[in-house]
Amino acid sequence: MKCSFAIALNTFKETIRDRVLSVIVVFALAMIVASLWLATISLEQQARMMKDFGLTAVTLFGLVVAVFAAGNLVRKEMEKRTVFFIFSKPVSAAQFIFGKFLGLALTVFLVVLGMGVFLFFVTWLVAGEAAGSVLLATLLIYVQVVVVMAVTVFFSTFASAILSSVLGVCIFIAGQLSHNVLSLTRLGDAEVLKVLSWLVFIAMPNLAAVDAKPSVVGEGSIAWGHTALWLGYLSAYMIVALLVAAWVFRRKEF
Amino acid sequence: MNEAASGLSALAVVDLHKEVRVGFRGRKLEILRGVDLNVDRGEVYGLLGPNGAGKTTTIKVALGLMRPSSGSVATGGLGRESIGYLPENPYFYDYLSGREFLHLAGRLFGLDRRQRCDRVEHLLDEVGLNDAADRHLRKYSKGMLQRIGIAQALVNEPELVLLDEPMTGLDPVGRVEVKRIIDRLREQGTTVVLNTHILADVGELCSRIGILCRGRLRWQGPVAEAAAASSDGLEGFFMEVVGREV
Repeated sequence: MKCSFAIALNTFKETIRDRVLSVIVVFALAMIVASLWLATISLEQQARMMKDFGLTAVTLFGLVVAVFAAGNLVRKEMEKRTVFFIFSKPVSAAQFIFGKFLGLALTVFLVVLGMGVFLFFVTWLVAGEAAGSVLLATLLIYVQVVVVMAVTVFFSTFASAILSSVLGVCIFIAGQLSHNVLSLTRLGDAEVLKVLSWLVFIAMPNLAAVDAKPSVVGEGSIAWGHTALWLGYLSAYMIVALLVAAWVFRRKEF
Repeated sequence: MNEAASGLSALAVVDLHKEVRVGFRGRKLEILRGVDLNVDRGEVYGLLGPNGAGKTTTIKVALGLMRPSSGSVATGGLGRESIGYLPENPYFYDYLSGREFLHLAGRLFGLDRRQRCDRVEHLLDEVGLNDAADRHLRKYSKGMLQRIGIAQALVNEPELVLLDEPMTGLDPVGRVEVKRIIDRLREQGTTVVLNTHILADVGELCSRIGILCRGRLRWQGPVAEAAAASSDGLEGFFMEVVGREV
């Protein structure tokens, strides 16, 4: 465990000292500020528009940071041959993968939470509404992003950095839509489509199940029992993705 | 039971074969073709050979970075926590300072904070990087990187040290410093395997050498014996051993 924490600390330093991250964060904050302009053109919907637009920005930029950093995470170590340094020490593949993931998860947590807190204050100052639900929705966005990050780390153990990141984005999109696709195909008669959509639903993480944005913008409310169950499922999904990543990585030679 | 397993050798390689697949069609390439060598405890052993002879692969298999196709490598009961390794042309995390990097190496070996601090400061002093300890590695010269690489290989006070081309990129002053470090390791009874092309250094530092060529060990024995075997000294002997193969 000590090794994993050492690798996590190193990964945290690596990602937090990366200038690209600062640029992305500045961009994300600028997008949230831009929601002020959108709010001015929406009659009596100021707070709703700001929260809607702001949470979308938090999701998108959190996702960008997570998948592109995760795609590079393991690849970079192999391409720059720092794996020689790591694996000449008493470090296992599982400790390495878990440590890398943990370090990046901490960076992404700070980025996503920072954006969420900024959105909270902007909404409070401009629309006069201290929306605690924004912070809650931000935490659930973090859960979605971190699950996709785990799957991207798995891809990066055998695919290139770019391909891993693109696949990570695809998983995010599929995870948002799989439930809708399943519902739609249930309405039809095509059995093959029903089976296929069911398989996709099982294979993809159901990220939409923990999306609190609709409730924050006044479209329904959060069913806590249901959300807790899906959080358990997503945690298991994430752990399996990391275990498989460690298994694939263990078979590698350097 | 081989010598390493019985505790006499720090490193014993027996009939080691390594094949890799290369190219689109996965053509087999035999890198090691039955290497046999043994390194005694407490000696400085020079592993020599032309480029592509299999020196780095032998070291990587010994460390577990590569798996052998057949044969065995025993490190005298030493685990990775007792082995230090400097890779060839090392690249380290350039966003870390020299001090942070050595602390990372110490953490990976499981050293506690106090042990780590003592060891890191001692090693920074030993490799002459005290003044540059808080500078990011991206601002280090090649020689400085080589020295911080040697320091990270020694952070755990290893019993066996594998140095892959430790003199590469070093200026004369840097080479003298590295030689002093290797001398000190020998005095402390640490086993050192030195993989190098620089025969003059081998003559000065090593007690025994092994000459690898095309994946096989061609000769192994005391440096003095090798140097005396040819009128041109060690260089002449080396060329005689590998010359007919190259």
